[in-house]
Amino acid sequence: MICHIIRSDHFGAWGMADFRAALVLAVLVAGTGCALASGPIKDGPIRAVGIENEYANVIQQIGRRYVAASAIESNPNTDPHSFEASPRVAQQIAGAALVVENGVGYDSWADKIIAAAPDPHRVVINVQHLLGLPNATPNPHLWYAPTTMPVVAKAVAAALGRMAPGHAAYFEANVARFDASLKPWYAAIAAFKARYGGTPVAVTEPVGDYMLEAAGADIETPFSLQAAIMNGTDPSPQDVATQNALFNAHKVKVFVYNQQVTDPLTASFLDLARKDHIPVVGVYETMPTPGYDYQSWMLAEVQALQRAVTAGISTQSLLGGK
Amino acid sequence: MIGGGFFGNGPVQVALLIGGGAAVVSAVVGVFTVMRGQSFAGHALADISSAGGSASLLLGIPALAGFLAMAALGAGGMEMIGARQIRERDLVTGIVLGAGLGLTALFLYLDISTTSASGAANTVMFGSMFAIAPGTVPFALGVGALALAVSVVLYRPLLLIAIDPDLAAIRGVNARLLGLLHLLVLAVAVALSAMTIGAILSTALLIGPAAAALRVATRPVWAIVLAVTIGLVATWGGIALAYDSFYWTPGHGWPVSFFVVVIVVASYAAAGPVGGALARRRATALPAPVSGFEPGG
Repeated sequence: MICHIIRSDHFGAWGMADFRAALVLAVLVAGTGCALASGPIKDGPIRAVGIENEYANVIQQIGRRYVAASAIESNPNTDPHSFEASPRVAQQIAGAALVVENGVGYDSWADKIIAAAPDPHRVVINVQHLLGLPNATPNPHLWYAPTTMPVVAKAVAAALGRMAPGHAAYFEANVARFDASLKPWYAAIAAFKARYGGTPVAVTEPVGDYMLEAAGADIETPFSLQAAIMNGTDPSPQDVATQNALFNAHKVKVFVYNQQVTDPLTASFLDLARKDHIPVVGVYETMPTPGYDYQSWMLAEVQALQRAVTAGISTQSLLGGK
Repeated sequence: MIGGGFFGNGPVQVALLIGGGAAVVSAVVGVFTVMRGQSFAGHALADISSAGGSASLLLGIPALAGFLAMAALGAGGMEMIGARQIRERDLVTGIVLGAGLGLTALFLYLDISTTSASGAANTVMFGSMFAIAPGTVPFALGVGALALAVSVVLYRPLLLIAIDPDLAAIRGVNARLLGLLHLLVLAVAVALSAMTIGAILSTALLIGPAAAALRVATRPVWAIVLAVTIGLVATWGGIALAYDSFYWTPGHGWPVSFFVVVIVVASYAAAGPVGGALARRRATALPAPVSGFEPGG
């Protein structure tokens, strides 16, 4: 074991260049008997938790080798809205120096655990508060908004910089890199909006709505139906009939389907869409893994949307073999 | 009152059919259930069936099949333990009920934590009448018709057991077998209504219309007819009100289950005075009061 540098357990998210850089650094460190090690490296990386794995991914991209970020909600087959915390999760949060949570009631259980293990040194970033959104914000899926993550990345860098002042410039540089890496996604959204703005789409729930709005799509599904599906309450028959008609009358070009909240009703919509040859695009509450980081995931969603509109091709799942 | 498009609305059509079927079967079975003093068993079966409903989400099988299998299993379990005295029967029922709800807790937890069925608890416990797949209709109505047919065949012996168990025993009626068959029909009724107004509330549809009808009617046949009428009015009225409620608070329809239960409770409350007035009229019109229920009505 070469000091703690290679201990950062997120090689999967690293590019090859990062890997090579780390290797070079590791050899250097080994040669100098760990003389380079300083700050948090001596005690191991800063432990951070992203309640949803997309936030953990961004923390890791900003902190890189000085941070070990872990996620609590990362199973693409379950619905984070109804997550129940376990003692192991409580331990994970209690041991973290930095926590990023979504807010808007999406992960309110985390607040209770954070309050149960008070630590004056722990920094908690609540994305809702960071963005100045009211509690009554109807759509909690903030990470689909193109404007959200740059703000989160900046706040994460500031928090990490206070914990390890010696590396503040390094974290800032990673923010700049992160922001630059979002450009292909922004470009894809802008290109879609320019060519296919006003495309009518149906959805199951508002998970991808912020991105669809940014791309200029017209969401035809009544919001009350989206909310009923999101919250697991009784849908109104009017809304169900409206949604059925969107498919049967071919009023929509794409069906954006949340992979993580399904029930017999959403399954019946999926059947209708297939029967009426309306292409389906899968969206997620948490980052689908393995194979994606935040940027590539978002870009893949827009590309899937584009393929659906231009070629009528469904991308129901972003994960292979499904 | 009913807004435009009510009868042309797909989810409403499915709800009217399955809800109507559930109301009829529940009312017919409910009359015998109330007369036999098995209301608690009926309630227990409904709650036990919720374990099947939640398990079906986990296994990916049709919800009705899950509700039905679990209710039948519960009915068999209660009859197998088979306590004779009412007090003991309540005890056994309570214990089987507890076991069923414990399983429900486990299955709902597994549904929510390992699958994407986030609305599982709401759907299983309180029903989701407008989210039933149209393909369920033939199966649901078929099962309901079968249960009704069994009820018709068992009508006379069931009535005899309900009114005079001792006489039934002398006449050689197999009370054990009959009890089991009745519980199985009961299981069908609660499974159907659990699908529509939810496991917790299906008792309302089973007991309410029957109890209200028995407060008014003096003959079993009329009690059944009246119970069916009340059940249908409650279910279809509830569907119509839920449909209409969409326009009261824009975009937010109120749950059907709520309206169904409100109408059921109102009928029971109204049945008291109506039944009393009818009894007084009969007492003044006829010299001798009509005796209790006679087998065969």
